[in-house]
Amino acid sequence: MSVGRVVGTEKTSTQVFRVVLDEAEYLQLDDLVVVRTQVPQAGEIATYGIVTESEAVYEGASYESDTFRIAEHGILPAQKVRSAQIQVTRVDPEVWVSPDPGELVERASGEARDKALYADEMGRPLPVGIGRDNQPLYVDLDFFDGRKGGHMSISGISGVATKTSFALFFLRMLTGRRDIVGESGVNMRVLVFNVKGEDLLWLDKPNALFDDEARQKWEALGVEPTPFPSVAFWAPPRRKSGDVLLPDVAGRQEGVQPFAWTPREFIDEGLLRFLFTDAGDSRNQLSFVEERVRSQLQRWAVDIVGRPGAVVIRQPPIGGWKRGAEVKLEPGERVIEDLPSLVAALEEYLDPPDGEEPDRAWSGRVQGGTVSAFMRRLYAAQSRLGELIRAGDSNRIDRGKAQVTVVAIQSLHDLAQRFVVGALLQETFAEKEQTGQRLPLSVVVLDELNKYAPREGNSPLKDMLIDIAQRGRSLGVLLVGAQQTASRIAQEVMENAAIRVAGRLDAAEAERSEYGWMLPSTRARARLLKPGTMVISQPAIPVPLVVNFPFPPWATRREEVSEDVDPFSGL
Amino acid sequence: MLYVENWAPEYGAPIEHDPALAPSESIIDVSIETATWEPRRPDASAADSIEAMCFVDGVRRVDARLTLDEPEGPISGLCGSLGVGATHWDRTIPRATFGNVLIERLAVVGSGRVVEVPAAGNLRYEPVSVAGEDPAELIRYFHGRMRKAEAELSSQLAAEGHLVIADGPVYETKPQTVIGFIKTHRVNYLPLEETETVRQLTAGTRTPLFLMDGVMFQKYSWYLKLADIPGGHTWSGVVRCEVAASLGIEQATFYADVAALLLPQTAPPLHVDPRAPQNLVPIGALERELRRNLGDPGLVYRALRESIGQSTNGAA
Repeated sequence: MSVGRVVGTEKTSTQVFRVVLDEAEYLQLDDLVVVRTQVPQAGEIATYGIVTESEAVYEGASYESDTFRIAEHGILPAQKVRSAQIQVTRVDPEVWVSPDPGELVERASGEARDKALYADEMGRPLPVGIGRDNQPLYVDLDFFDGRKGGHMSISGISGVATKTSFALFFLRMLTGRRDIVGESGVNMRVLVFNVKGEDLLWLDKPNALFDDEARQKWEALGVEPTPFPSVAFWAPPRRKSGDVLLPDVAGRQEGVQPFAWTPREFIDEGLLRFLFTDAGDSRNQLSFVEERVRSQLQRWAVDIVGRPGAVVIRQPPIGGWKRGAEVKLEPGERVIEDLPSLVAALEEYLDPPDGEEPDRAWSGRVQGGTVSAFMRRLYAAQSRLGELIRAGDSNRIDRGKAQVTVVAIQSLHDLAQRFVVGALLQETFAEKEQTGQRLPLSVVVLDELNKYAPREGNSPLKDMLIDIAQRGRSLGVLLVGAQQTASRIAQEVMENAAIRVAGRLDAAEAERSEYGWMLPSTRARARLLKPGTMVISQPAIPVPLVVNFPFPPWATRREEVSEDVDPFSGL
Repeated sequence: MLYVENWAPEYGAPIEHDPALAPSESIIDVSIETATWEPRRPDASAADSIEAMCFVDGVRRVDARLTLDEPEGPISGLCGSLGVGATHWDRTIPRATFGNVLIERLAVVGSGRVVEVPAAGNLRYEPVSVAGEDPAELIRYFHGRMRKAEAELSSQLAAEGHLVIADGPVYETKPQTVIGFIKTHRVNYLPLEETETVRQLTAGTRTPLFLMDGVMFQKYSWYLKLADIPGGHTWSGVVRCEVAASLGIEQATFYADVAALLLPQTAPPLHVDPRAPQNLVPIGALERELRRNLGDPGLVYRALRESIGQSTNGAA
């Protein structure tokens, strides 16, 4: 079905051409079209394209006031002409010639649509939303799961850009379309940080507002619209909750597990460095002291009989403490069972009373002021980290417990948030580094990425995120990062994201080079995008796609939770 | 008092005296509609019954000048294209559309010679000849053909029941609904006393009808002011209209009122047309459309050179 013909009053090219529309047809932005041109010696060439602008004008009007003469008084004859600009996406077979003027332009549907979107060349086309024609649009999964590329970056204004919603929708596609994901989906683990509100604590509950219209869209995407089937929720322990750890969440209690690290785990995994993640910390010599103290702790800390998770700092024997060694507590020795006791123990070496010099074995050869600064950071951290470090049985997050692990860090101070993110990313990455295998995949969803990998400054957390961005692809650690402004993110992290997504953007932000992948027309529209509409760029398609993603079948607020469970079911 | 005309200078002036015309037409009677001469403003409802109007006009263009190289000396000729058509103004919607476009192409050669011009692509020129040798005579003939085509189209549309506004004078004795619309005043037909009424016209008013003697027939005529021109003189924006006298005084008065009511509505503002306000919007647009239909002059000229050049060289 043709919608019009290629305009012949201006030159067509292999990049762009225009279509003049039939009276009874229309084309809207993002519609896909195909033109077939007979090329001498080469035969029929199909040119596929996407509508980037729609236009209309009175032909025959030369003055703006002619509009009144035409439309109101009717004394000036004129022809209303509607047209559309097309950006070429593909020429098939690859003979790069422009389409002929006057040729029929058809809507690309069925096979032609797949070709226009390169879906026929995608190894594993995963639906990532619905196009204007109510058909699914795809990304090539090979460019997300590490085969040809990895990582996803999502940008957009907070609140209306629906970044997190899209990330979760994408995850649901990833977990729901096993037929496409294939072996990459086996034992795939997803780590999601809940950084704002408690939006993500209801991923396993059906949404009461979910309606039939949304259901149809989900069905078009090939996924049964259900909440995430396998989710575990973790939250930091509530302060002063006594011996029983209670998760620090407000809306939901059941099914949320508290997590914490024991001093033993804290020391073994060198988590101390994630207390120095402020971008300014790298500028002074704090990191020297931190490195020294970290390795000193690993040598000196030894377990205590009958006190699981707790340690005592004691001069190691020659050859060091054996792994798993336990000692009996001696009188006067300080038990390290949380961060304050650790800080107090370090104080003895680094900031001894009565103005004595710090122990060089612990402080290294740095200025006294640097050691003081180090201690000040630790004092500040001990209250901010709260109960995250505590002795006792291990309460660390078990990412193997469910497919999706949601870690609720919204109640924590910035410093503690960075600590948790750093500790978990390190754990995830280290695990994969050890096996050296890409599979099973580990996906990390991190909102407010600019906090963790800012463009300016250095921090151990930023270094690690860059490392993940650069090497994670081959190790199967995939980052889905979200941020308001891509221009605030470390360049290495942005550059390595094969799939880029944007929701509504600030007008000034949209003009930045970070969004160079958008067409000028898409860019202009990026500040008008409605919630639920995203622009997606992927290496496999030379133009960005505008997609809609459907309303989620899981609840995003407590009020949305549908609790209509039949109490008599099964009777 | 001295004024600058508002037409662009290359289009001449709306007032161009041509004493040669004076003897051929003359006023017979200025008192046929009313004895008292003063500007008349028709009742606004007078045109209510007019649902549509057709504006008929023609354009012509010399595509190429020809020379027939003969032993007795060169003979001049020309290839020319002319187009006539109509703008249909449907007042009910309201919308205007072009229609009845007719393009004719003529190969006119002087000294009574008829020369077949080989078809240039799909352009075919009808061979015609004129007796004289004067190149101006070729143009006169060519122009006459355009006038004839316009008159035929006007008659045809009037016969179909339309009210026609035709560019130029009316040359028809039949009682048909064609109003001749004359933009340029070559002669003042009125005596001094009645001329004063023309000077008093304001936009949308007209003079009373007067009976005129044409070359072969009589017609009713009136002056009408299309628009008040800021800084204009008393004749600025004034046009003359005429209908065949055979329509009868009653019909003629009706059409005079219709013209005084509707034509000012179609007059362009000064900046829109170099001959504003006399070159009505539907007519100006029609001229542009007809010129477009004549084809690109450069391409037509090239095609003619090619086809005539080939046949001449082939014969030689």
